[in-house]
Amino acid sequence: MMKRRTLILSGLGAGAALVVGWGAMPPRSRQGGADTLPVVDGEVGLNGWIKIAADGSVMLAMHRSEMGQGVHTALAMLAADELDVPLASVRLIQAGPDKLYGNVAGFVGALPFHPRDSEPGQETRSVKTGQWLVAKLARELGINMTGGSSTIADAWDVLRLAAATARAQLLGAASLRWRLPVDELVIIDGVISHGSGQKAHFGEFAKAAAATPVSTVMVKDAKDWKLIGTPAPRIDVVAKTNGTAAFGIDVRLPNMVYAVVRHCPMLGGSPGAVNADAAMKLAGVERVVRLGTFAGSTDALAVVGRTYWHAKQGAQALQVEWQAPPVGVLASAAIIKALEDTARAAAKEQGGLAFHSRGDVPAAVKSAARTIEQVYRAPYLAHATMEPINCTARVTGEGAARRVEVWAPTQMPGAARAIAARAAGVAESAVSVHVTYLGGGFGRRLDVDFIGQAVRIALETDGRPVQLVWPREEDITHDFYRPAGVALMQASLDAQGLPTSLSVTSAGDAITPRWMARAIPALAGPIDAPDKTTSEGLFDQLYDISNQRIAHVATHSGVPVGFWRSVGHSHNAFFSESFIDELAFEARQDPVAFRLALLTDAPRHAAVLKLAAEKAGWSTPLAAGRARGVALHESFGSVVAQVVEVSLVDGRPRVHRVVCAADVGIVVNPGIVAQQMEGGVIFGLSAALFGRIDIEGSVVKQTNFPNYPMIKMADAPRIETHLVASSRPPSGVGEPGTPPIAPALANALFALTGKRLRELPLQL
Amino acid sequence: MELSINGQMRTLNDAAVDPAMPLLWALRDVLNMTGTKFGCGVAACGACTVLVDGQALRSCVTPLSSVAGKAVRTIEALGTTEKPHALQAAWVAHQVPQCGYCQSGMLMAAAALLAKNPNPSDADIDAAITNICRCGTYPRIRAAIKTAATALRAK
Repeated sequence: MMKRRTLILSGLGAGAALVVGWGAMPPRSRQGGADTLPVVDGEVGLNGWIKIAADGSVMLAMHRSEMGQGVHTALAMLAADELDVPLASVRLIQAGPDKLYGNVAGFVGALPFHPRDSEPGQETRSVKTGQWLVAKLARELGINMTGGSSTIADAWDVLRLAAATARAQLLGAASLRWRLPVDELVIIDGVISHGSGQKAHFGEFAKAAAATPVSTVMVKDAKDWKLIGTPAPRIDVVAKTNGTAAFGIDVRLPNMVYAVVRHCPMLGGSPGAVNADAAMKLAGVERVVRLGTFAGSTDALAVVGRTYWHAKQGAQALQVEWQAPPVGVLASAAIIKALEDTARAAAKEQGGLAFHSRGDVPAAVKSAARTIEQVYRAPYLAHATMEPINCTARVTGEGAARRVEVWAPTQMPGAARAIAARAAGVAESAVSVHVTYLGGGFGRRLDVDFIGQAVRIALETDGRPVQLVWPREEDITHDFYRPAGVALMQASLDAQGLPTSLSVTSAGDAITPRWMARAIPALAGPIDAPDKTTSEGLFDQLYDISNQRIAHVATHSGVPVGFWRSVGHSHNAFFSESFIDELAFEARQDPVAFRLALLTDAPRHAAVLKLAAEKAGWSTPLAAGRARGVALHESFGSVVAQVVEVSLVDGRPRVHRVVCAADVGIVVNPGIVAQQMEGGVIFGLSAALFGRIDIEGSVVKQTNFPNYPMIKMADAPRIETHLVASSRPPSGVGEPGTPPIAPALANALFALTGKRLRELPLQL
Repeated sequence: MELSINGQMRTLNDAAVDPAMPLLWALRDVLNMTGTKFGCGVAACGACTVLVDGQALRSCVTPLSSVAGKAVRTIEALGTTEKPHALQAAWVAHQVPQCGYCQSGMLMAAAALLAKNPNPSDADIDAAITNICRCGTYPRIRAAIKTAATALRAK
């Protein structure tokens, strides 16, 4: 039996457990001193987040990566609102490697607590203790991660307080200089003024402000917000419509060369003997580099050339004797069959790790009128970010003078720095990491394998910068895949067909311990440390069924697995929300009414579901040949319901309309939330209708968009987003739109055809 | 080799390029015009869409030899900061981009559509815009194309 404390700490692995027992001090402040930010040209730092330029403009340390989810805009809004400056005038500067910028909320969110025990403000004692401990650890470790839909939740208090403190200091300095009471001063568009006619921009007071101590600083009341809650235009949109937005792959440096990677076709295989003669004869091909392994990558070759095209031709011309992987041949069909066997065997003996238990399932089963049992399946998936995997690196100097520069679209700048240092054999202090825009992340860029590869190549290019680009085929065939998953769903029913117990036994590979081992090895724990992501979406939903056992068996399938937008929820929501629909059918009840009856203790969820149903006209008739389906799901602290309208065109599902309702806590920017819900739906629809990675003989069969297709314009539904007003602290936005779409569609297809689809992708 | 790009004749060093080289790589890696994106290399995703004599083409499979003597237009010349193309203005008004990576190709495909068809129906848009966006901006792209079409017709 897993000890509770071990379970609590699993979010941070065993490394974290070493420091348990240290200190009872509260977590350190995340404000940072006035000297945290480097300054030039008369700039003045006020804290770790804000500095003021000589012209009075506000410069904000941007610690998170922009990959489409809108955080550069939303974070700037938090600062601009507190400082009363126009959003467009906030200048973003990349935050450095200070631990100040580590993600705390993301790691606290990885704790496997049930939402009933961790409702903000009403946490149980043990939840509070666990959260406090992990928050403190995360603050000390300072891991900069953009992921887990955690950016705004993490920055909400920290950044507003930093900006409010800066504001108080600036006003205090003006008050002293002008000898006027501080409460008579106002800030309008970044200019401090007084009724007497005194007026000056922040730059005039920045130096004095930095020396002005402040006592109690209060952030603004919600009623005083000017930006928060508005659909302010994104600050990156103009650059993203005229070709000037610079992604990693757009980095251009003097004398730069390009490199193209070629991995063994078999996952885990490596190059043996290499004949590079044909490749080296090609014009524009410069050299071949054997890469070695970095942060979970498999050994591979790279060809350096004058352009990507030259390097790609060289890579294709290499004659390589590939060596099969040292252990076993991977086959996805056999793996999925084995997962099913594992889940069935575990279910028989109440096995697996129970993430949630209540009541007495065996007793409920014994006294039930009947039971139902179904197996659900989900395949491996690739991320397929639009911007291919790439990284630019330059290594200059020798010995102690060696310096490494990296330009990367990464969700993990600190881990990028660490792997770059390892690859070049230097201290981390000799590495600078420039984070570019990310052309999509979806979790793929939480891994830093390609960064180590780029630095390795740069060791061979005589100080010239090199841009490593993975061809799309390398990306699809050498990803860290969304793990395949299987769940045995069991319920017992009373004489009316109502559920008296729910038992879920799922099986699949855990992601978090494997990811930690490759991306943040210093903190990695045992590979079988409990991982919330395996069971999230199954154990943490709020339907009031009195007897439940929700367990997972962590397996060792051997396929490289990684975080994929919404992670465990991406398939577990399909399992849980399809099965709830099956239970509604068994009870001969309307799917919305059935759910609402199980949500009497979950008013937030009920409100979201009701809003979606109302806006979708759930009870109104549809045109012949169309049907609706619904799903409700909590993930990353947010609750989303979706109603799908579907018909069949040439025997294939055609989704016409998706109505999405969400409670994401306080909404910082409703325009961005709507974008993310739309994006989450379409991302999830590609997976629901087409997404599958098949592995045969350790070779991934899908290679590029023609055989790993995506939703396109002609397939895209109309999507409406409706938000529930909330005063809860902000919760996740980037991922929660994805989980409900597959079950909502499957449920709609059941309503339309009577056929229950229990496997992804959905095929009639 | 000489190419007409955005109204200017650009000379490519013959040692640096090859007639078989796709236009995409001449733009991106030789001329450092990075607005046009690489997505798949097999004409499947449309991130590399440019206009060649007004036609939307996927530059990742368009050899340089086939564009000699033709006018190439890229995202860099769709509009200017002072005078954005109606599509760019509509893209901003509808807040289309998320990650933004596919948007150059989307805009160029939309520009080719509107040049031929000033009032495209939903079906016309479906047929003309076959590019891939992983962020799921399609509904906003559809709306923005219609807004731009209306604006252009009013001119």
